[in-house]
Amino acid sequence: MAGILVFAETREHTLELLNAGVNLARDLGTKLVAFALGNEFAPEYISHGADEVLVLQPLAQDQPLESYVPVLAQVVREEDPDVFLVGATQRGKEIGARLASQLNTGLCSGCIGFELDKEKNLLQMERLLFCGLAVQKVICTTRPQMAAVAPRVFDRAPLVEGREGKVREISAMPFSPVTVVSRTPRAREAVDITEAKIIVCVGRGFEKKEDVKLARDLADVLGGEVGCSRPIAEELRWLPEDVYMGISGKKVKPDLYIGVGVSGQIQHVTGIRDSKVIFAINRDESAPIFEAADYGIVGDLYQVVPILIEELKKALNK
Amino acid sequence: MLKILTCFKWVVDEADIRIDAGSRRLILDRVSYKISPYDRNGVEEAMHLQELHGAAVAAVTVAPPTAKSCLKDVLSRGPDKAYFINDPSFTDLEPSQTSAVIAAAIHGDIEFDLIICGEGSSDLYTQQVGPVLAEKLGIPCATYVNKLTYIENENRIVAERKLDDGIEAVSIPLPALITVLPDINTPRIPSLKQVLGAAKKPVENITLDKLGQSFHPCLQTIGVLGATMERRHLMFGAQPEEIGSLISALLKDGVIA
Amino acid sequence: MDFEMTEEQELVKANIKEFCEKYVEPIADQVDQEARFPAENIKRLAEQDMLGIPYPEEYGGAGSDYLTYIITIEELSRACAATGFIVEANTSLACNPIYKYGSDAQKKKYLAPLCKGDILGAFALDERGVGDDAAVTAISDGNEYVLNGVKTFVWNAANAGLFIVFARIDKSSGTGGVSAFIVPAGLPGIEVGKDVKKMGLRGVPSSEILLKDCRIPKDNLLGQEGQGPAIAGTALDASRIGIAALALGIAQSALDESIRYSKERVQFGQPICNFQAIQWMLANMATEIEVSRYLAYYAAWCYDQDMPHSKEAAMAKLMASETAVRYSDSAVQIHGGMGTIKGQKVERLYRDAKITQIHGGTSVFTKMVIADNVPGW
Repeated sequence: MAGILVFAETREHTLELLNAGVNLARDLGTKLVAFALGNEFAPEYISHGADEVLVLQPLAQDQPLESYVPVLAQVVREEDPDVFLVGATQRGKEIGARLASQLNTGLCSGCIGFELDKEKNLLQMERLLFCGLAVQKVICTTRPQMAAVAPRVFDRAPLVEGREGKVREISAMPFSPVTVVSRTPRAREAVDITEAKIIVCVGRGFEKKEDVKLARDLADVLGGEVGCSRPIAEELRWLPEDVYMGISGKKVKPDLYIGVGVSGQIQHVTGIRDSKVIFAINRDESAPIFEAADYGIVGDLYQVVPILIEELKKALNK
Repeated sequence: MLKILTCFKWVVDEADIRIDAGSRRLILDRVSYKISPYDRNGVEEAMHLQELHGAAVAAVTVAPPTAKSCLKDVLSRGPDKAYFINDPSFTDLEPSQTSAVIAAAIHGDIEFDLIICGEGSSDLYTQQVGPVLAEKLGIPCATYVNKLTYIENENRIVAERKLDDGIEAVSIPLPALITVLPDINTPRIPSLKQVLGAAKKPVENITLDKLGQSFHPCLQTIGVLGATMERRHLMFGAQPEEIGSLISALLKDGVIA
Repeated sequence: MDFEMTEEQELVKANIKEFCEKYVEPIADQVDQEARFPAENIKRLAEQDMLGIPYPEEYGGAGSDYLTYIITIEELSRACAATGFIVEANTSLACNPIYKYGSDAQKKKYLAPLCKGDILGAFALDERGVGDDAAVTAISDGNEYVLNGVKTFVWNAANAGLFIVFARIDKSSGTGGVSAFIVPAGLPGIEVGKDVKKMGLRGVPSSEILLKDCRIPKDNLLGQEGQGPAIAGTALDASRIGIAALALGIAQSALDESIRYSKERVQFGQPICNFQAIQWMLANMATEIEVSRYLAYYAAWCYDQDMPHSKEAAMAKLMASETAVRYSDSAVQIHGGMGTIKGQKVERLYRDAKITQIHGGTSVFTKMVIADNVPGW
């Protein structure tokens, strides 16, 4: 056993993967090692569980993140880890796949959780199939066992004061025949829907763009945010792409999700399935959302939502 | 002339899948199949390049022989020919196997400048075949592309990748591979003549013995079950009193305050 | 006997379904309520090679077969019967006479634009007089025929670029002198009357055409003088299979809506699809639709084999139209009060279904055709 390796594009994601790796490392009796994209991250990674931090060389302006693939592969061949967790951002997914290929090992993409089979020292990894309809459990018969884990699947590792660890610089230079020509940052909306504790989701049941205000009013009473299902953002463009939830959009874990006029197709439900409480309002009794809900009201949203707002104002003394 | 290979997968239509309520087993007896929607975008992008630059486009798939109705389907969408890499054992393949099979079929035998894949397949959605195939062929790749430009006289492409933090435009020398997002284009609905014309286009069968090797998986599936959501399914009426009760329940759950 | 569709037919069916979801369904209700001709979708269907499906490519057609055409009409009508009918009238009533009886020159000049959808065709047979006998005249004058009279129930007259007009070349000769003529629209002496307000298929305008000293070249005679009844008969036989497909689409849609609604609607604590009465209704619906389907497909197959098909076409139309009327009625019943509200699909299906029992030969007439053709009668 030569360690659990962790690589992610951002600091926050690395801290989450450290959390994922900490118990594994303990159970396997091995070290937890994190890659860092700069020296400055090392102390924080160590205080959040890393036994060792491997600092990578900085990228040139025109090098994409994937230039690290040959470097990571070389480190893996030297370290021979048992497990390698990759942060599944878009770039991370490409890196994980290419790395697995170079190392002739398997990669469990979109890993939503895992368990260690302690007898066989095998990771049982779970992922979704068929747009979220089914859950697949896989094991990897080769080494390292690799999993790509999306942001926010794990909470960040707890801070442990006074932890110590090693910091080592990896001298190999990143390389890629692909050159970055330009980067255009996404216009960040003021709201990060993935941070919201309460989300009111706009679905196809809304008849026109102006009616989204009804969802906003409901969100305001609750102190929550407004999000939507994919068609509202991608096709109708009533709300920005940033706030659509689903298999190809944001995955959210609010305390309360209220689906208003949302039918509940599997592609959308996959994005909200980890909500603590799901409450749905839809005029169609047979809408799939009710299968996925804790609370449901069958009714016309244009009638139900105003009453809901009124009753909430009374109950919350607003 | 630019030579393009467009990879596609014949997948179960997830709308036809039933889940046994007791065992949570997937029931696949009455499923129909389709070209994975993400691959339709890939094929359409290849055709777009053909229209702009006069490229030769061939479709490629790995499947069991029973999947042969996928060929007329893909050919009706524009490609000039199709490679049908088939064997009865080619079911439930893992991405590393699929990529290895395609690489083995291409190596030395099929010329190409650009390979286009969908970002993932609608059944497994591992999003691995594209980058893994690129690795096995030793060519560069760009994933999650939503805009592609071919720079003809410089033998390279510029691909705009839609990533979590914004758009990253990259330049890659050919030969190369890209994986494309659904927003890159709108796939056509083939016309009747395009459907009828599919039968006239050549199909090259590539069988397992021609590839001369075996393809072993690294991952092993130990279970597949219908996903459950343990939810309470409590229904309330739409009158003010009922809504009031619902609100009390939410307060009790501690999700609103 | 091979009861499976070919791979091409499966693909066409899937494509047309996708087309309907994307373009036809979203405006179907508006087309009906506003009596609006769905011009944009007809243009798209032309681009999809769907206006001359069973005719050879050399005449602008898609070079496919009648069965593929019937499958297409069924799917189109399932989404919007008016759209299905516009395609059917063009293909079976306007193109068919020219294809079966036209000279090569006529086919190249008139069939090609119809198949490609550059213009739409209309069939002008019915008149104000009693029954199916023609009273419009086409009197020979030098190099031309001069047409006079009124044709009624000319579907899509307002949008037609070409009419197939049946007229008597001699005022006194009874049906013996009836001939068929290709009459381009817009000629002096043709006036298209006002659209009539209809019960169903409201997206397809229907009106009279008034012919007053309308002159057409002798070259526009289709076939021989006096061949009119045969030409009309051939076209109507072909069209009956098309109407069967139209009715089939309506019936299938009635079933789709009934199943969906009965799963949603809860009464006495359970969805109504759990009640035996509803289950029996749905079972009958599904069975008779299946019967109608195979009869229609069989008639199309006979057509493709160049076998006689008058009886089969009449049976298919009779069965499908009766099924459509009976079960669009049942669908409204299942929906209860909701089923009578404008904007509900079953309300439109009920109205669209009725006409399928009438045009192309009423049910009574088709029974006569069947009786004439059943062996041993």
